Amino acid sequence: MSVLTQHLPQLLDGLLSTCLLMVLSFAGSLAIGVLVAAARVSPVRSLRAAATGYVELFQNIPLLVWLLLFVFALPEVGVIFPLFTTAVIVLALYEAAYMAEAIRSGINSVGRGQAEAARSLGLTTPQTLRHVVLPQALRSVVQPIGNVLIALTMNTSLAAAVGVVELTHAANEVNLAEAQPIPVFVGAGLAYMAVTLTIGLTTGLIERKVAIVR
Amino acid sequence: MRPLPTRRAFVLLAAATATVLTGCGSGSSPASPSGPDKKPAAADVKGAPTAAAAAMPDGSTMDRIRERGYLIVGGSSDAPLLSQKNPLTGKYEGFDADMGRLLATYILGEPKVRIVSSATQTREALLKNHTVDVVFQTYSITPERAEQVTFVGPYLSSGFQIATRKDATDISTLADLNGKTVIAGANTPAIPAIKKAAPKAKILTFDSDPACIQALKQGRGKAYVQDNITLAGSIDSAPELKVVGKPFAEGDMGIGVPKDQADMAAFVDTWLKKVIKDGYWTEVWKANFGASLGDHEPPVVGSVPDVYTAKD
Repeated sequence: MSVLTQHLPQLLDGLLSTCLLMVLSFAGSLAIGVLVAAARVSPVRSLRAAATGYVELFQNIPLLVWLLLFVFALPEVGVIFPLFTTAVIVLALYEAAYMAEAIRSGINSVGRGQAEAARSLGLTTPQTLRHVVLPQALRSVVQPIGNVLIALTMNTSLAAAVGVVELTHAANEVNLAEAQPIPVFVGAGLAYMAVTLTIGLTTGLIERKVAIVR
Repeated sequence: MRPLPTRRAFVLLAAATATVLTGCGSGSSPASPSGPDKKPAAADVKGAPTAAAAAMPDGSTMDRIRERGYLIVGGSSDAPLLSQKNPLTGKYEGFDADMGRLLATYILGEPKVRIVSSATQTREALLKNHTVDVVFQTYSITPERAEQVTFVGPYLSSGFQIATRKDATDISTLADLNGKTVIAGANTPAIPAIKKAAPKAKILTFDSDPACIQALKQGRGKAYVQDNITLAGSIDSAPELKVVGKPFAEGDMGIGVPKDQADMAAFVDTWLKKVIKDGYWTEVWKANFGASLGDHEPPVVGSVPDVYTAKD
């Protein structure tokens, strides 16, 4: 246990970095996910195809492969960002695919009558989505979005493989110096668990507050 | 709502995506193996020594290994020139792999080895719970590690070298890297060495040596610090990089043995001294590193702190 207390500043820095990575990627993936979900349900055929292509592409290729492609292959064509930025971008794009599917299931759960009523009031499709459908859809998929956030938190540890200094990377460095993998990695695991338990509890609270009583 | 896009559209989309991705793959990928002329030759280890039965009494660790029929070695399968699995033959090639086979010949009479993939994060735990018998994985000797496992050796030593792009002219020592971004392999002893000599340097780490080389080429760091053995194969196949100066801060590596198996430690110590004296260590070195690093004096067993020393 002393190995954890001795290196606490380093591990806390890593935890902070993980939380920052998580928050930024979540914001990005939520924004992109809403747009992609909207495109998937739009009446414009090419938009639907493009959105479906995006979701299939990002869901069917492993995240580590995406990270390696963005970090090592993109600079070959001249596109290079700092590592942390690259990790945020890749995580946001990847989780947006899952987010879009979760939001789309929420949109499908909103009654057909809502969209019909909105159309009869003269609202265009973007207006319908923005004012009528999405507010109801998002309220009913709080828990699935929370699931995607938990998966995103776990996936941030992959960024350690491409050099981003977050909790897993910090734990590796501490173990390199101390050669005690069990306390170090159990500690890191407990830290991740604390973060995701908080997310789960918060999601439950939010869900109860915004649940639509039908 | 309109029906979903037709099957044909899906197929066209998939084909377009595949074309784009293969186009992106024209640059060297991080997983490419080391240069073609650096493959290790087969070491000539005919007549390698075997232990007398009296050296392995009943109930000892070595006797248990003999009864099992093979030696379990913690090692890598992706370290070029050290322990790399040949995908065509399924055989492990490299210095560490050859040394493991020599030890197995000493105990069992045949080079029967099973390699368990270990990593910096898992080595001590694997030795502690006896999942592996020994670790042959360029295991650097440090005082903290010596508290968890017994080191027999040194059996190999290597120094750090700095690799830079060809146009960098202002780097010659570690101290020159202060305030700059330096690339190092994740979990290598280069990291504490850089921190000591250049405390203000920003260290970027990647999992594998090819990834670090790629990062250096792309300008993510000013220099790449790695031990000269690992650099041996990579730099020759990268003409836009160069190596600066001679290897420095020689570090020693030992064979990892579980802390609670003193009989195994004494046994491996005897074996190591024997293969060095009889010239097998030199033979294995020449076969693996001769082409890239030239000749090297064999190490003196027991000559550095924190290793096993026989009590007479």
